[in-house]
Amino acid sequence: MTAPPYDPMRDGNLQREFTEQWSDAAYGCFSSGHKFCREVCPVMQVTRNENHTPTAFHANVVAMEQGNLTIADVADDYVNCTQCGACELRCPNTLFTGDFYRNRTQTVKLVKAMRALAVDSGIEQPNWKRWVEATVDRKSEPVIEVPVEQEHVADWAHGLDLPIGGETILFVDCEAAFFRTSVARSTAQILKAAGIEFGLMREQWCCGGPAAEMGYVNHARSFAEHNVADWQAAGATRIITLDPHDYITFTEDYPAYFGEAYDIEIVHITELLAELVREGRITLSQPVERVVTYHDPCRLNKRKGIHESPREILRAIPGLVFKDVDHVTQWSYCSGAGAGFAIERPEIAAEISRRRVARAAELEVDTLVSACVWSERPLSRAGAEEGIEVMDLMELVAQAAGLDGHGIGDTSIPAVAAVAGADRNRGATNGAGTR
Amino acid sequence: MSTAVALSDPVLDELRAILGDDHVLTGLSARYNRTRVPSPFPVHRWKDYVPDVVVLPRTAEQVSAVVKLANRYRIPVVPRAGGTGLADGAVPLRRGIIVDVKLMNQIHEIDLVDRTVTVGPGINMLKLNEELRKHGVIYPDDPASYPCSLVGGRIGTSGWSLLGSRYGHTRDLVISMQWVLPNGEIVHIGDGGGRKIRKSSTGYQLKHLFMGAQGTLGIVTQATLELVPRPEVEFAAFFAYPDYQAAWESTGALARSGLATLAGVVLFDEWKLRYLRRDDEAYIPQPDDVQAVVATAMYGTRDEVTPAARRLMRIGHETGGRYLGDEISQGDWASRHDRYATPLHGRLRDGQVVPMSWHCEDAALNYSVLPQVREEWHAIADRFIERHGIFDDWGMFAYTNGAYKPGGDYLVEIDIGIWEQKLNDENWAAWVQCKREITEVTLKYGGSITACHGSTREGDAEYVPAEMGGGFEVMKAIKLALDPNNVMNPGKNELDRSYQPVGSGEG
Repeated sequence: MTAPPYDPMRDGNLQREFTEQWSDAAYGCFSSGHKFCREVCPVMQVTRNENHTPTAFHANVVAMEQGNLTIADVADDYVNCTQCGACELRCPNTLFTGDFYRNRTQTVKLVKAMRALAVDSGIEQPNWKRWVEATVDRKSEPVIEVPVEQEHVADWAHGLDLPIGGETILFVDCEAAFFRTSVARSTAQILKAAGIEFGLMREQWCCGGPAAEMGYVNHARSFAEHNVADWQAAGATRIITLDPHDYITFTEDYPAYFGEAYDIEIVHITELLAELVREGRITLSQPVERVVTYHDPCRLNKRKGIHESPREILRAIPGLVFKDVDHVTQWSYCSGAGAGFAIERPEIAAEISRRRVARAAELEVDTLVSACVWSERPLSRAGAEEGIEVMDLMELVAQAAGLDGHGIGDTSIPAVAAVAGADRNRGATNGAGTR
Repeated sequence: MSTAVALSDPVLDELRAILGDDHVLTGLSARYNRTRVPSPFPVHRWKDYVPDVVVLPRTAEQVSAVVKLANRYRIPVVPRAGGTGLADGAVPLRRGIIVDVKLMNQIHEIDLVDRTVTVGPGINMLKLNEELRKHGVIYPDDPASYPCSLVGGRIGTSGWSLLGSRYGHTRDLVISMQWVLPNGEIVHIGDGGGRKIRKSSTGYQLKHLFMGAQGTLGIVTQATLELVPRPEVEFAAFFAYPDYQAAWESTGALARSGLATLAGVVLFDEWKLRYLRRDDEAYIPQPDDVQAVVATAMYGTRDEVTPAARRLMRIGHETGGRYLGDEISQGDWASRHDRYATPLHGRLRDGQVVPMSWHCEDAALNYSVLPQVREEWHAIADRFIERHGIFDDWGMFAYTNGAYKPGGDYLVEIDIGIWEQKLNDENWAAWVQCKREITEVTLKYGGSITACHGSTREGDAEYVPAEMGGGFEVMKAIKLALDPNNVMNPGKNELDRSYQPVGSGEG
């Protein structure tokens, strides 16, 4: 998937096609000029650099259309985004007239497209390149600190006696499969306890989402093709995801790849679990004596509008003191762990995590609960400095349901010392918590 | 790709020595993205305005060193905060160095006893208030750009606040400043010498001179701001009227009410309602007999606002207003920052939807002349729309403009959409001509070109000498004395005339 060498003629054409496609969308922002997106942007809040704003992301397209800038001038700007989606929600165009004119601001889509244009034009980011290359052989993301090999992708399920295949498949994200296995095990045990029949894939590969987010679309698509073929071979009609990043990939990227032929129901675990709790199919009777607040994962809250079900579940856990911060306030929060941002910009990402945890510390909680396994490693690192433990919602629910929930090995609660993302030279193995 | 800048290597080396490598940006994207602001921009000539280099200082000492360097090399310096201005203060006219202050966003001190907060110029008001509200206080500077504009730009333009009638505007809310003069010296600017003193008669009242100087007299590096108690109650009431005349009379009655908690009165005309009705989402639909709207808002303690609101409602009713209900009143007021300029509402004469940029006229005019000005402005806009096609009349607002005394003059806005994608030299010239004619009406009726954005746009700036009269000679003398090398934001407000020999063709 290495990018092709620079070719001025081809790249000129690529750029022209790109600016034609994005011209109106870019101008919708350029002409608005509101810039309300800025102070909710997790990256901009740290860097204060005007190039790292959705305004710049759109203005660049206008400048490219006019022949003032090229992809080589702007590619670096688009590295500085976690694709959290806050800017789209805060945009007055989206808030008030986006639906009427079918012209909602789509900054995330633009960032992905521009990153793809960069790759197609031979402009690559070194750490993303190494990261994506590492997935060629491994078929899963290079999750740091633990061996990632295809034959171990289901080791997390050891002893749980889960079948392969079936109508419902539990897709276990790479980070949960190899690193924070307690999330995967908790989820599987909860589903079993609730009487949900489900199986695993015959051979689960990476969802491909991160590669697509970094601009490697063809590579991402090859993963998608494998996974969909595996689902079809298993006779699956429903996929349960435990990671919001997979959920986004399966509900947005895959339909774009396969069109109507892609007819599979995708369910996020918090939505399903809230239903199970509501219907009394799982009983949460073990008190969990913690003071918690909830971290709205960006891809659930900002990109998919899922913010009620996790809260519903938390309120059903006995013993818990839940200090909530509303989901709109959390538009400006982020763990920093999205869209490969932390792989290329680990210091900024760590600062984003630190600020998120500091918000939790102000509430005087002992635990920050997330529902995104990718957020949990960077938040745990920041949490260790503040004395705040970071837990996944499924880990908490498993406790409340009297289930074991522990991970395999000793990674049930990740070691605080795993400060992986800080060393940029570790290249391909530098994927920890950096999705 | 070219990243070459016009500045020589020694200058860049010196800048890097002052600021560190990471805080001197020479890339094309960094420079293009700090060229424009949201006001109408000749996008077809974008490259003519691109600065040579961008610097991101973190301290007053760095700003000072940059300005001293600029004097040695005679390089223009243009300060930039949020870049959200609706005039061209932050647009570099002569290239040079952009001093982008966004990294200077610290809260240096919160003083709950003497009721001040001291901040860097790069902080945003919403973010500041997120911290202040933990202490039960706020900084009540509330422009339409409240979620994104920065304190430095508010000072650079002498901004206007939607709550100004209650709490004052930026000039009333900034107590004192740390300031880098055009020669690079760091000085205290305020009313007298005390950093937290609001009213003094010592020496000249320098705060007013530097407030709104649009970067022509230096750069603010720290500001000490007013704190007020977080209001217990917000009360908003919107009234509907069958015609503009009735709404205008009611506006006057409401604004003259003498109610101290009144934060502002806003008058929407027929064109504005038509604009807001262009979709079913941006404005809750009203029956056709609603032709004008007046919005009011009050803030304060419950004990003050409750009886005052009753009085306000009575005045609204007695002057022919029909209350539009709690949902519209509270909802529209709550979304006041987001709602009223929507580029997607741009329309050509034939109804075609095109995205348009927003020109927001912001003349200051007395209450008595509002109806006449309105007619003349709309007529001008109509002529240019008919002739050039790429403009669109988005209607008018009039807002109470006086701090603590709303009865007098108004910030009067005609909003005009401009289809920038179609701009060329010819229709840009047409736009500037349209702007000039609007300005001439303002001056004819004894008004001022700008209540808050600054007189830095083409079509405004040419009229600064005419509006200021003999005062313009004072401005020139001050500019020449403080900035002998004309490094600070050159080309703005006709101040280049400060450097012309006496009698050399001044108008």
